[in-house]
Amino acid sequence: MTQPARKHPLVDATEPNLLEDTFAYDLPPRIHLDGQVVETIDGKPVAFDFAAVKDRDIHITDTTFRDGQQARPPYTIDQMVRIYDGLARLSGPRGVVRQTEFFLYTKNDRETLDRCRALGHAYPECTGWIRAVKGDFRLVKEAGLRETGMLTSSSDYHIFHKLKFKSRRECLESYCEVVAAAFEAGVRPRCHLEDVTRADIDGFVLPFVDRLMEMSRGVPEDQAVKIRLCDTMGFGLSYPGARLPRSIPKLIYKLNRECGVPSPRLEWHGHNDFHKVHVNGATAWLYGCDALNTTLFGFGERTGNPPLEGALVEYIALKGDLCGIDMTAVTDLADYLRSIGLPIPDNYPFAGRNFNTTRAGIHAGGLRRDERIYNIFDTAALLNRPPRVAITDKSGADGVAHWVNEFFGLKGDERVSKIKCAKLARWVIDQYEVEGRLTTISDEELEARTRELMPEHWARFKGGA
Amino acid sequence: MATVEERVKAVTARVLNVDPAEIKPEHYFTVDLGAESVQSVELVAGFEVEFGIEMDEEEALSVETVGAAVEFITQVCKRQGVPIEEWRRPRRAARKDPP
Repeated sequence: MTQPARKHPLVDATEPNLLEDTFAYDLPPRIHLDGQVVETIDGKPVAFDFAAVKDRDIHITDTTFRDGQQARPPYTIDQMVRIYDGLARLSGPRGVVRQTEFFLYTKNDRETLDRCRALGHAYPECTGWIRAVKGDFRLVKEAGLRETGMLTSSSDYHIFHKLKFKSRRECLESYCEVVAAAFEAGVRPRCHLEDVTRADIDGFVLPFVDRLMEMSRGVPEDQAVKIRLCDTMGFGLSYPGARLPRSIPKLIYKLNRECGVPSPRLEWHGHNDFHKVHVNGATAWLYGCDALNTTLFGFGERTGNPPLEGALVEYIALKGDLCGIDMTAVTDLADYLRSIGLPIPDNYPFAGRNFNTTRAGIHAGGLRRDERIYNIFDTAALLNRPPRVAITDKSGADGVAHWVNEFFGLKGDERVSKIKCAKLARWVIDQYEVEGRLTTISDEELEARTRELMPEHWARFKGGA
Repeated sequence: MATVEERVKAVTARVLNVDPAEIKPEHYFTVDLGAESVQSVELVAGFEVEFGIEMDEEEALSVETVGAAVEFITQVCKRQGVPIEEWRRPRRAARKDPP
């Protein structure tokens, strides 16, 4: 039999250790990062200091109006203005949501931009998005924008098969002409290296970025090229040891430390084709990208982008501070977007109708004893979303009692015990065992039955309602 | 007035749909009498109504047998000043006429 390498004696306790340094409950759980992380790159160990992220100016950028709109029918101008206003609430005074990008091609695009800017919010800054075409810079300049994204596809799939260049050199020179046009127009170009996780990194990406850095040395810092690493097909991998071009750590290392693109000018843009989108974005932050490009509720082309609200929770967890972010705007924006037809799944984290709803009686029992047992953080305070119980045959009297207390809004000693809810619990069980019901019981049904079966409580807590 | 035991058995019989004559003090509500989760709560609610008392939820639901319920309810009634018949008084013997 294998001998244990180390013995672990029980540390007996009569008081619980709730690890509140990490799980403070009034904030999302902290992400504590210890020591250096070593990745082997080109055969040599390279150290990354993840803990430094706490002091770095990491931030979020938004593409709800660009990539987000590529996955749905267009928003109206009023809708976009309303969403932009919500993004400003999420940005907080420090501009955690720093920028958002707009198309500039139609009259509606330009009117939207003007109306959003007229709101006077400091953040998110409005930037543009154009094709890599010299003439398009006129649109950016006329709109009075300081920065625009431009497509600079980097894989041979795009260079040869989509854009039909005859050679990489022809492609590179074409891109650089457009960058030069941006400089000439006084606009900061943000080069979107499309499909970079499927590109020849040594053969094209690094030489192209070297050239961009060289060109940037001739312009003021606030005009120097930014690089957006676009994981267009979601191929990026966060694992240490993964090879290029899929390795996010190695990609960022190469651009950041070999090509010399400073972290404030590096951005990650992911897609969720392999269920990796959020962690890949957070990985990019840790390895040296300051900007993480996102969309509200991850809604974007095909499987979507890093969800903005998820990035905010990650940001708060890394910083250990709310940083002035009004997270209740997540709930308001989810309600609004649902009202205009955006399908947010019910179990979607932080925003789905049931993200903190339990159906299991045993979990409902835990919630009644101490909300922290089955709630991820204080969702009532942070998101205006108290934990809830959906009532089915699995809810038990605990679930019914939890529902009743939430419905009456009772706290502490005022809360009704499950003994007082026995008749309502019996009605619920009979729905399934006697009536053969197969669906969840709605709030409206429960409300009516509460009034009928708990008349004294109804009179006390609802009065004449 | 019926005794606490008789009243506990009557409530138990009604909630669990069993013959009161079959209920014994050593019976477990769940294993012997078949009480399911919600029925345990209904039993406690039934006892509260029957005796006009308020019971602590955790304490009441931790009682496992009929006999333990009789003891527990007796204590609660005493604490809350609720009059009860703890046991059946022996029937008074017929008075004999003096010789």
